[in-house]
Amino acid sequence: MRTIDEINEKIQAKRAVVWTVEELKANVVEMGVKKVAQMVDVVTTGTFEPMESSGAILNLGQPDPPIKIRQCWLDGVAAYAGFGAVDLYLGASQSADYSGSGEVSDLEELREMRSRSPQQELGGGHVIADLIAGKPVKLRAIGQVTDCYPRASIETTITRDTINQFYLYNPRNLYQNFIVGVNGGDRPLFTYLGPLQPQLGNAVFSNPGALSPLLNDPDLQVVGIGSRIFLGGGIGYVAWEGTQHFPLQKRLPNRTPIGPAATLALIGDAKQMDARWVRGCYFKSYGPSLMLGIGVPLPVLNETVVERCAVRDEDLVAPVVDFAIPRRVRPNFGLVSYAQLKSGQITIDGKRVRVAPLASIFLARQVAETLKQWIEQGEFTLTQPVASLPSDRPFLAQDRWGAQINLE
Amino acid sequence: MKKRVTLTFPKRTVHMPVTYRLAKDFNVAANIIRAEVAPNQVGTLVVELSGDIDQLDAALEWLRVQEIDISATSREIMIDEDACVHCGLCTGVCPTEALSLNRDTFQLVFTRSRCIVCEQCIPTCPVQAIATNI
Repeated sequence: MRTIDEINEKIQAKRAVVWTVEELKANVVEMGVKKVAQMVDVVTTGTFEPMESSGAILNLGQPDPPIKIRQCWLDGVAAYAGFGAVDLYLGASQSADYSGSGEVSDLEELREMRSRSPQQELGGGHVIADLIAGKPVKLRAIGQVTDCYPRASIETTITRDTINQFYLYNPRNLYQNFIVGVNGGDRPLFTYLGPLQPQLGNAVFSNPGALSPLLNDPDLQVVGIGSRIFLGGGIGYVAWEGTQHFPLQKRLPNRTPIGPAATLALIGDAKQMDARWVRGCYFKSYGPSLMLGIGVPLPVLNETVVERCAVRDEDLVAPVVDFAIPRRVRPNFGLVSYAQLKSGQITIDGKRVRVAPLASIFLARQVAETLKQWIEQGEFTLTQPVASLPSDRPFLAQDRWGAQINLE
Repeated sequence: MKKRVTLTFPKRTVHMPVTYRLAKDFNVAANIIRAEVAPNQVGTLVVELSGDIDQLDAALEWLRVQEIDISATSREIMIDEDACVHCGLCTGVCPTEALSLNRDTFQLVFTRSRCIVCEQCIPTCPVQAIATNI
């Protein structure tokens, strides 16, 4: 029907027809797949949700005399330094940890500088967001003294403009579907989905459903390695399959998975990102994370693309998982549709349970809308993936240390 | 009319059945929103009083005579609009549905009149956008 090259020609001429995936879904109901596929060139999807498997690569530039950093803290949050001399990797879910990093007075000074109240928890996600917002971040590093790198330590302040490279490399983003968390136990639980109240007091889901990028390309037919995307308000790319990529998850006849499935590793220049789409966050008694706005354009190469994008919240499901059982495989209360979840209420074992999202559907829509505008204005062209993402990865567990009993 | 006030009781008035007197003598309904009362300690009560305007004024005057401190500025939940990402996580823990999501736009809506200031939303908010004004 069309090729990516043809679409890009239209984008550059500002003639491309771009719809958000919600506009497409509405129009398919009105006009049908065939007609819509002829009209539209690109469909934009979006999400805004916590993605804790995110991180930033930083290269500081060398001081004089130079240093080979072995331990390092950015605003008190440890960054991994086991690379070349001044390369660092700061993970979003790393908590502030001052042990070994200096005096208590420094901690207080630091907190004052950040004007956060002391009980507020800080982590890698906040530091990444602060750097993207252009704020100064305090750096303290301990080096290994060698003939090449004589310096033993350094304390300084960095901003995104005073360091060489600053890019996000996120090992696991854009979960294709996720779970719904509930608590069937008798005490409150504090989870990566936020607080779950006992006796099925509430339920939390974290995927935006029909807006979500990978639920609109369930078999990863048009998204692949090298796909250009909207990442945190800047331009990013699909780098690789994500960790725990599990395309073999059970699927409905519409090909969408019934639980967590494909994931993507993403990369993008953080210096071009916008703090509006990159927010540090913290889950009480669980830890810090990073909320990210990510948008993926889907080229309408054929009718199948439109057919897959037409999927509605009624056609998408997620499993309701009981976090009260502290095991890897937790019991679940069956599947619920995203239409039910977004109604704010589900029924579990005959009991009405309030449901809250954790993905911001409001901001996810704005991501899709912003990406649409970029493409319409000719600022963002599409890329042909250089390789497909694997479709046959199994999901292994670390069981070898225990008794090998097969319960199935 | 309705009026939300914070009542602070001196130790010796803790034994007085205040809500009973308000109902019986002034025909004022006192909906207790928050309470911190213990024997021989200063007590605090956040109540929403509803009744006829004249009787409400008379009731407040009577409370003053009993040396119960009345403060109209009760603690309130404040939402930082710039920090809020409208994720909606707080709506799941809000017992009175004062916090809800607009089902069309999915923006957070705070209905202050329904809020009982239980403060469960404060630690729940992942971006620290919710606080009290005190």
